[in-house]
Amino acid sequence: MPSQAGRLRAGHRTAMLPYLLMLPALLLLVGMLYPFCLGVYYSLTSYFLQYPHLFRFIGLGNYVKLPGDPLFAYSVQFTLVYTAVAVLIQVSLGVGVALLLHARIVGRGVLRAMMLMPLMMPPVITALMWKVMMASTKAGILNYLLGLVGLGPVNWLGSVNGAIVSVLIIDTWGNLPFVSLILLGGLQSLPYEPYEAAFVDGAGSVEVFRYITLPLLKPFIILATTFRVMDSLRIFDVIYATTVGGPADATMNLHMRAFFYAFQWYQMGMGMAYAMVLLALVFVASYVLMGYWRRAAEQTEL
Amino acid sequence: MRTRLRCFVWVGLVSMVALVCLASIGEALAGESPGLAYFRQAKINWRQFEGQKLTIGLNKHQYTESLLPLIGEFEALTGIKVEYLILPENEYGAKLTADLSQQRGEFTVIMAGAMRNWGYVPPGWMVPLDDFLKNPKLTDPSWYKLEDFFPGLIAANRWNGKFAGGTGEGPLWSIPVMSESYILPYRKDIFDQYKIKVPTTYEEMAEAARQVKQKAGIDGLVARGTANFPTIATGYLSGVKSYTDGKWAELDEKMNAQFTDPRVIKFSQIWTDMLRESGPANWANMTWYDGMETFAAGQAGMYPDCDFFAATYEDPKKSKVAGKVGYALLPAGPGGSTYSGLFTWALGMSKATKNKEAAWLFIQWATSPRTLLNATVEYKNYNPTRVSVMNDSRTQKVMGGWGNGTYLKTVQENLKTARIAWVPNPERPRLGDTWARALHEMYFKRLTPEQAMQRANDEVNKIFTEIGLRK
Amino acid sequence: MTVLRELWVGHPARLTRLLRVGLLGLAVIALVVWTVFPFFWILLTSLKQPLDVIAAPPKILFEPTLDNYAGIFIGRQRGAYASARPDFPLFFLNSIIISGGAVLLSFLAGIPASFALARYRFQFKEQLAFLFMSFRFAPFIAFLIPLYILFQRTGLYNTYHGLILAYQIITLPFTIWMLRSFFMEIPTEVEEAAKIDGCSWWGVLTKVILPLSLPGMAVTLILGFMFSWNAFNYPLMLAGRQTFPVTVGAIQFISYEQVLWGQMAAASLVAVVPQLILSLFVQKYIVRGLTMGAIR
Repeated sequence: MPSQAGRLRAGHRTAMLPYLLMLPALLLLVGMLYPFCLGVYYSLTSYFLQYPHLFRFIGLGNYVKLPGDPLFAYSVQFTLVYTAVAVLIQVSLGVGVALLLHARIVGRGVLRAMMLMPLMMPPVITALMWKVMMASTKAGILNYLLGLVGLGPVNWLGSVNGAIVSVLIIDTWGNLPFVSLILLGGLQSLPYEPYEAAFVDGAGSVEVFRYITLPLLKPFIILATTFRVMDSLRIFDVIYATTVGGPADATMNLHMRAFFYAFQWYQMGMGMAYAMVLLALVFVASYVLMGYWRRAAEQTEL
Repeated sequence: MRTRLRCFVWVGLVSMVALVCLASIGEALAGESPGLAYFRQAKINWRQFEGQKLTIGLNKHQYTESLLPLIGEFEALTGIKVEYLILPENEYGAKLTADLSQQRGEFTVIMAGAMRNWGYVPPGWMVPLDDFLKNPKLTDPSWYKLEDFFPGLIAANRWNGKFAGGTGEGPLWSIPVMSESYILPYRKDIFDQYKIKVPTTYEEMAEAARQVKQKAGIDGLVARGTANFPTIATGYLSGVKSYTDGKWAELDEKMNAQFTDPRVIKFSQIWTDMLRESGPANWANMTWYDGMETFAAGQAGMYPDCDFFAATYEDPKKSKVAGKVGYALLPAGPGGSTYSGLFTWALGMSKATKNKEAAWLFIQWATSPRTLLNATVEYKNYNPTRVSVMNDSRTQKVMGGWGNGTYLKTVQENLKTARIAWVPNPERPRLGDTWARALHEMYFKRLTPEQAMQRANDEVNKIFTEIGLRK
Repeated sequence: MTVLRELWVGHPARLTRLLRVGLLGLAVIALVVWTVFPFFWILLTSLKQPLDVIAAPPKILFEPTLDNYAGIFIGRQRGAYASARPDFPLFFLNSIIISGGAVLLSFLAGIPASFALARYRFQFKEQLAFLFMSFRFAPFIAFLIPLYILFQRTGLYNTYHGLILAYQIITLPFTIWMLRSFFMEIPTEVEEAAKIDGCSWWGVLTKVILPLSLPGMAVTLILGFMFSWNAFNYPLMLAGRQTFPVTVGAIQFISYEQVLWGQMAAASLVAVVPQLILSLFVQKYIVRGLTMGAIR
C-alpha cells in the first residue's frame, strides 16, 4: 500500500501528465502561432514589398480603408452568399447520394470506391480538368454534349453568371463525395429499433425518412455542413485556376482579394488585412456551428 | 489487410525506384555539348569562376524552352554548375518578387525586361550591366558585339530610374533575348473568299469582324480578355495609342491618370463593342494562349496580338490554319498613323547574387551571337533580338515562309515605329488590372464607358497617392 | 399525379417496385457519369496529339499517342512540342517525402496529445482542443506571407524539414481531432482492466488504445497524407526547385507558347495515382473512419 507521501507524489505526477503528453503538439502549435501573430502584425502596417521605405506601423489604417475599397462589400457579400448556396446544394445532394450508397444495390462497394476518386484530386488539378472541359464555347466537350441533346452552348467561364455557376459545379464535384461519405457513415451507424417500430406501424418510406432518419442524422448533417461552410468561405484553388476572380470581379471572394493584394500587387499590409477579415468570419462561423453540433450530438445520444 | 499493405508497400518502392531510373535516363538524354571552339575565340577566360554555382529563375516561355537544351554547353565551357527554376508567368512573378524583396539571392540571373525593370530597379534589386560590359577581363566587346542588337531593344532596357519619363537612357539593366511587337494576323483564305477588305482603320476592323462572323460562321476576332494587365498590353494598348496619334500616355509627369481622355473612351467603346458583337462568347476569360489556340484551331478571323505567334500558326503540327494566314499592320487611328507596342524578355541580374561575375558570364554566353542564333534556328525562339540572327539565311527562310512573305515584311515595317507603350511606373500590374476591369465593366454594360474610365482614373490616382508618387 | 395515384392504388406492390428500381438505376447512372466523366475526359486528353486537343468539335475518336507521358518523364518528345523538363519523377519523390514526413510528425506529436485530450481532465482542455481545430480553418494567405519571410530568414526555405514543419498547419489539427475521436470510442472498461493489471499510462496507451484504434489510425494516416499531397499554395512559395511537389509541378505545363493540355493531363493523372491506389485498398475504412470522427 503506497504511503501518503507516495500517493501525493503520484497524484502530482498524474496532474502533470496530460500537459507533458501535449507538449510536442503544443510546441508545434506555438510554431504555428508565431507566423500567425506576425501576420496580424503585418496587417497593422503599410507593408509594400517594392517600397521598403514606406514600411511603418499604422494601426488600424488598413482596416479603415476596407469599406472604401470598391470591392470589399462585394467580396464579403459574394463570400457569404456563395457559401450559403454551395453548402445548401452540397448537403442536400449529399443526403441523396448517401441514401443511394446505403441502399442494397449491386456493386455498392464499387460505387463507394468510385466516390472516393474526386476526393483524391488536388483542387487545383480538378479545376484545371474542368477548365479543359468548359473552356471554349466550340471546342469544349461540355457544350458539345449539351448540343447533342439540343441545349444551347453555355458561356461557362466567360459570363458573369456562368462563371459563378461554373465555380459552384467544380466545387460540388470535388466535395460532394466528402459530404456523402460522412452522411453514409451516419446512416450506417443508425440503430435498428426505430425502423423496426416504424415497419410494424406500417409507415411509408417518406414518413420514415422525415421523422426517423433525418432527425437521427442531424449531428452528421451539421458536421458535414460545418466542414463545407469552413471550406466554402475560404475557397481559392478552384477560382484561381479557372476564373481568377473574374469576369468583372464576379468571383472575387475575400480569399482571392487577399491574394491579389499580396501576390499580384505586392501590398502585404492590405492583403493581410483582408486575410484577417476572412479569418474572423471563419472563426465566428466555426464557433457557432460547433456549438450546434455539440448540442445535436448530445440530443441524439449516439 | 496486412498482406495487402505489404504488397502495396513493395509496389510503391519498386515504382519509386523505376521513376528515379527514368529520371536519370532523362538527364543523360538531355545533355549535349556542341563545339566550344566558337566561344574560345573570345579573349576572355571562360573558366575563371570554375566550380561556382548559379541558380537562374526563368518564366515558362518559348525562350526558356530554347535555352534549356543549350545549358549543358555553358557548363562544359565554364565549369560553373547551373540550376534553373521554371514557373508559369504569374507564379514566376510572385516568387521572383518575393525572393528579390528578401535579397536572399536564390535567383541570380532572372528574366526581366523593360516593364519589369520598372518594378525591380527603384528598390535597388537589380545590378546595372554596363560595368560588366566594359570590363575587359569579363567581356570581349568585339566578339560579343553589343551593337548587333536592334538599337530600339537595347534602348528599351535602359532606364534612368525616372518615373513618367522615357526609357532609353541610363544604365543597361538587362539584355533582350526575344522581342515581340503587335500586328494583325488574319485569315487570308476567308477574307479572300468572301471579299472582305483587310482593315486599315478600327472602324473597318469592326466591320470586317462582323462580316467574318456572318459569312464564315466563326468568331470575327479574338483578343485577350482576362481582367488583368496582359489584356491591356498588346492589341488594345496599341490601338489606344494609334487612336491618340501616339501622343497620349496613361500617366502624365505628375503621375495623374489620364483615362478620361475622350479619344481613349471612344476607342475603348469601339473595342469592347466589336468584341461583344463579333468576338468569342468567353472573351472575358481568354488569355493570350486561349486566343492563340482559338486562332490556330481555325475558329477566329483575326487576332490582333503578338507577332511571333505566327510560329505556331504556321506549324502544321499545331495549327489548322498553316498557310492560310496573312499578316498586316494594326489598323490606324483617325490621324492616319498606326502604332504598335513593344515587349522584350531580357536577362538581368539580381543584386543579391553572391557571384556576380559568374552570373555575368552566363548572361554573356546566353546572349552571344551564336547562342541566340541556335536558340532561334534550332529551338524556335522568336523574334530574335540580334540583327545578325534576324538576317541569317536560315531565320529568313523560316520567317520568310510565314504568310507567304507577308509576315517578314509587316514585322520589319512595324519595327521601324514600335516602341514601349507604357509609361515607366512601378505599379504597372495594378494599373493594368484596374484598366482591364474598366474594360470588363464596359463589355458587360454594367457601367457606361465614361463611368468606367472615370472610376479607373480615380482608383489609379488613389494608388499613386498612397505610395507617395503623386501629391 | 392522380393517374399515378390510381395506378398505385390498383397495383401498389409491382408499380412501386418498378418505380423504385427504375429511379434507383437512373440515379446510379447519373452519379457514375457525373463522377467519372471528367476523369475519362482527362485520360482521353492525355492520349491526344496537340492538334486533336484543340479540335472543334471535340474528338472522341482519334489516333492515340503516348508522347505526353514520355514527355513528362523523359523530357524529350517526338512530335510538336519542345521538351518539358525531366523533373517530374523528382517532384513525385518530393511529394512522397514531404507528405509522408508531415503525417509522421503529426502522428508523433498527435498520438500523445489526443490521448491526453481523450482520457484526462485538465484545465484549458476544451480551449486547447478548439485552438488546434481552428487552425484547420485558417485561410492559407494568413500564414503564407509571414511564413515565407520567416523561412527565408531562418534558412528553412526550400528544405524538406521546413516544408514538413509548414505542413503541420494542414495535418496536425486534423490528426489530433480524428485520433481524439477514435480514442474516445474505446470503452473505458478495457482500460480499467489493464490498469488493474498494473499498467501505467504508457502501458494503457501502447497495449490497449493503439491496437484497438488501428483502423482509425490508418484512416487518419491516409487522409492526412492525402491532404498534404494536395497542398498547392504552401509549397508554391515555400519550396524551391529542388523541393517542389507534384501539385506545383503540374502547373508547369502552362507554357508561353501553348498550354500543353496533353502533358498537363498526363501529369495530373500520374500525380493522382498513388492516392487512387491507396483509396482502393482502404475505402471501407475511410467511410467508417470519417464517421467515427463524427460521432464525437
